[in-house]
Amino acid sequence: MDLPRHFSRGILTAAAGFALLVLGAPSWVNAQGRAAWERIDAATELLDGATPRAGSIRLDLPAVTQDGSSVPVTVEVDHPMNPDDHVEALYLFAAGNPSPEVAEIHFTPLAGKARITTRIRLDGSQTVVALARTNRGEWLAGQRDVRVTVSGCLSQGNSSDNSDFMQARVRPPSRMAPGEPGEVRTLINHPMETGLRKNPDGSLIPERIIEEFRAELDGEKLLAARFHRAVSANPYLLFFVAPGRHGELALRWEEGEGAGESATATASIPD
Amino acid sequence: MDTTRMNRRRALKLMGAAGAGTLLAACGFPAFAGRSSPGRVAIVGGGFGGATAAKYIKRFAPSVDVMLVEPRERFYTCPFTNLYLGGMRDFESLGHDYRELRDRYGVRVIHAMAEDVDVPGRRLILAGGETVSWDRLILSPGIDFRWGELEGYDRAASEKAPHAWKAGSQTHLLRRQLEEMEDGGTFILVAPDDPFRCPPGPYERVSMVANYFKNHKPRSKVLLLDAKDNFSKQGLFMEGWRENYGDMIEWVGRSGDGRVIRVDADALEVETEFGEIHRASVLNVVPPQKAGFIADRAGVADESGWVPVNPRTFESRQVNGVYVIGDATQAAPMPKSGFVANTQAKVTARAVIADLAGDAPPEPHWVNTCYSVIAPDWGITVAGVYEVHDGELREVPGSGGVSPMDASPDFRRREARFAEAWYAAIAEDTWGTRPAV
Amino acid sequence: MKSYGGKTCGSRKARILGLSGCVAFACVIVAALASSGPEVSEDGDLLAERAEVIAQSCAACHGTGGRLDTAIPSLAGQPAAVLSAQLLAFKRDQMPGATVMPRLARGYSDEELEAVANYFASLTPDADE
Ligand SMILES: Cc1cc2nc3c(=O)[nH]c(=O)nc-3n(C[C@H](O)[C@H](O)[C@H](O)COP(=O)(O)OP(=O)(O)OC[C@H]3O[C@@H](n4cnc5c(N)ncnc54)[C@H](O)[C@@H]3O)c2cc1C
Repeated sequence: MDLPRHFSRGILTAAAGFALLVLGAPSWVNAQGRAAWERIDAATELLDGATPRAGSIRLDLPAVTQDGSSVPVTVEVDHPMNPDDHVEALYLFAAGNPSPEVAEIHFTPLAGKARITTRIRLDGSQTVVALARTNRGEWLAGQRDVRVTVSGCLSQGNSSDNSDFMQARVRPPSRMAPGEPGEVRTLINHPMETGLRKNPDGSLIPERIIEEFRAELDGEKLLAARFHRAVSANPYLLFFVAPGRHGELALRWEEGEGAGESATATASIPD
Repeated sequence: MDTTRMNRRRALKLMGAAGAGTLLAACGFPAFAGRSSPGRVAIVGGGFGGATAAKYIKRFAPSVDVMLVEPRERFYTCPFTNLYLGGMRDFESLGHDYRELRDRYGVRVIHAMAEDVDVPGRRLILAGGETVSWDRLILSPGIDFRWGELEGYDRAASEKAPHAWKAGSQTHLLRRQLEEMEDGGTFILVAPDDPFRCPPGPYERVSMVANYFKNHKPRSKVLLLDAKDNFSKQGLFMEGWRENYGDMIEWVGRSGDGRVIRVDADALEVETEFGEIHRASVLNVVPPQKAGFIADRAGVADESGWVPVNPRTFESRQVNGVYVIGDATQAAPMPKSGFVANTQAKVTARAVIADLAGDAPPEPHWVNTCYSVIAPDWGITVAGVYEVHDGELREVPGSGGVSPMDASPDFRRREARFAEAWYAAIAEDTWGTRPAV
Repeated sequence: MKSYGGKTCGSRKARILGLSGCVAFACVIVAALASSGPEVSEDGDLLAERAEVIAQSCAACHGTGGRLDTAIPSLAGQPAAVLSAQLLAFKRDQMPGATVMPRLARGYSDEELEAVANYFASLTPDADE
């Protein structure tokens, strides 16, 4: 282009401004002009002055849900997963919950892709926020609005059935395309008591949650997670293993102070 | 015809509420006085939403030209097909034709499939190539299935493992399979995640299958594999199952590994998320769903597959002049029910008439009551009243809810009777069908 | 907005409603002459409109215009006082054995319930014509 530099930049800025006018503010900026993570203390503490690159984490949640007690969410960080450059940690927040921390997931390159699916508790309509940190110290961010409607349609069943308490389930990768990371599904039956619920007699049910989850492949660290009480009952976590791996998956769920449950499964993921 | 909001308002201003009814009645309302029509409304779909919209536009404003496009000459309702499966209802009693809408209300009914929508040209393109022009369009196409989204479950698979989630040949197929099943077999129903047509439907279905088994094949089992941990009227259903069918019905929720991820329709087998294989004698799969395809053609569906609407009128958020009602819409917290489609249709009928006249739509208001029949003398309900608040739909605080737990047998029996009365009423209100006495 | 280009003498609204302008006008005259009640306020007017919008939902169980008589009773032409007393009793949980009506009635103000009662009372119990 033979236009003077300042001129073309001026046009670009004007064009960008116009695009903003037409499309409205980008979705990560709220009406006050602040990104959602800026309103979450725990998130700004983590960032410690760093500015995350917005729009590089995709959150997949239903736009509207009628069951705030168990909202499926898939988070995928758009970033390589090789030993030199990979996502190290992913943090999930629910901006509108009384305590916004939901979960944090620590990856190794062995995961093949920084993508998880879980189920979370949302206290009303709000913005769900994700932050990710790479091994090079770069921060990424994403967010998504979700509307939680209250409906009389859902009457909770009498789910005081404890017969499968602490039953761990794992589904190793199966039927995969070669070269693709393999999918591991995990679930443990656990009430994830928030400490905020009451017995019929009015007394508080004490808090009791699965705090930690770890996955190893043949003794090598694959993924570790810390759950807060905004993870739904019966914590569910779907994650990945890089292609070309064979071995024994070892999983461990912990309530804290050593109490927990383990499970194993054999994984074989084609190259 | 009943008075409508506009003439009634004018009349009320002049004479006070008390005299309005009689005076207006005395004055009389010619059915079709205007020579020229104020506009044409085309409606796609003659089910609960579309038929009600056609009828009520003609009741409120007879001079509006209403064209109803629906391929079938006789519509069979999904509501009460479960009762047919349970042996409580004759299939023909669930069929309704369009004679009343045509002859009594002056709706022009075209029995054809709408294949496409030309939005800029304001035309519908029908299967035969004919076109129908419109000033306003209402779509009430119900649902289509997301074939293949559940691995192994496509249209061909549904010929072996029926969904029976649209009334007709699928319903008959399921009934035939139940009749041919040996006593001692297992009926498996696979229930999808939200949102889907008729949230209590899968649970009423297994109740009615259990009712059939209890009377004809008492050693048989019913297994409900569910992608959800919570479902509509859950406590009431479970109580009703226990009381009426003992332990015949087993429900497995998502966290009990009830979520099915693969179907083998030839082997009548399903595989759950954590790898359990269940084998059925009769397999009934309710697949994931989306708005009827015409919503896509009109450009009103979003990436969720459903249609976002302006909550006051149910005009599409994406295309002006196109209104969408019924199961195809994102209208949570209103459920995808026939009752809701019927009440949405009336609100939208008023909004479309106001739109044609350049008026503001009246303040909207909707209701739902879903009856579920667990056994011949055991009915339960969920009800809701809905409004627009801060630009969003919501349930009116303090209203609505489900039948009480531990109610008397008499209470349950009366709700079962009222379910039958509801069916007669909504059929009359939607298609003008007179209940057989 | 398209132009309708009709030749009737009524307003556009009246035509949409299927009133020929002339009949509508005659109606207005008759109504005006017969008028003896109090002026209805804008509020009352809105309430009457709201009652119609609410009442149209009742039809899904009570039939079009509330005229179907089954296990669920018909409403058209019932005395307003009776209907409104029943609706208010539903709302206040004073109807022993009531099933779904209390849950619905709680969605409305007392004024709305009374207006709905008046509306059904004003309809003829016979055909929807
Ligand atoms: C087993 C079962 C039980 C149920 N029980 C109840 C119940 O007890 N109470 C209740 O309230 N609801 C019940 N429902 C739900 C109810 O059936 C639906 O909510 C209701 O039918 C929705 O109305 P609609 O107008 O959106 O769609 P539909 O009633 O399905 O009507 C859609 C119509 O559009 C036509 N159509 C679609 N595409 C086109 C096109 N391109 N061109 C022309 N025509 C087209 C179709 O032929 C169809 O006739 C039940 C559903 C099921 C499956």
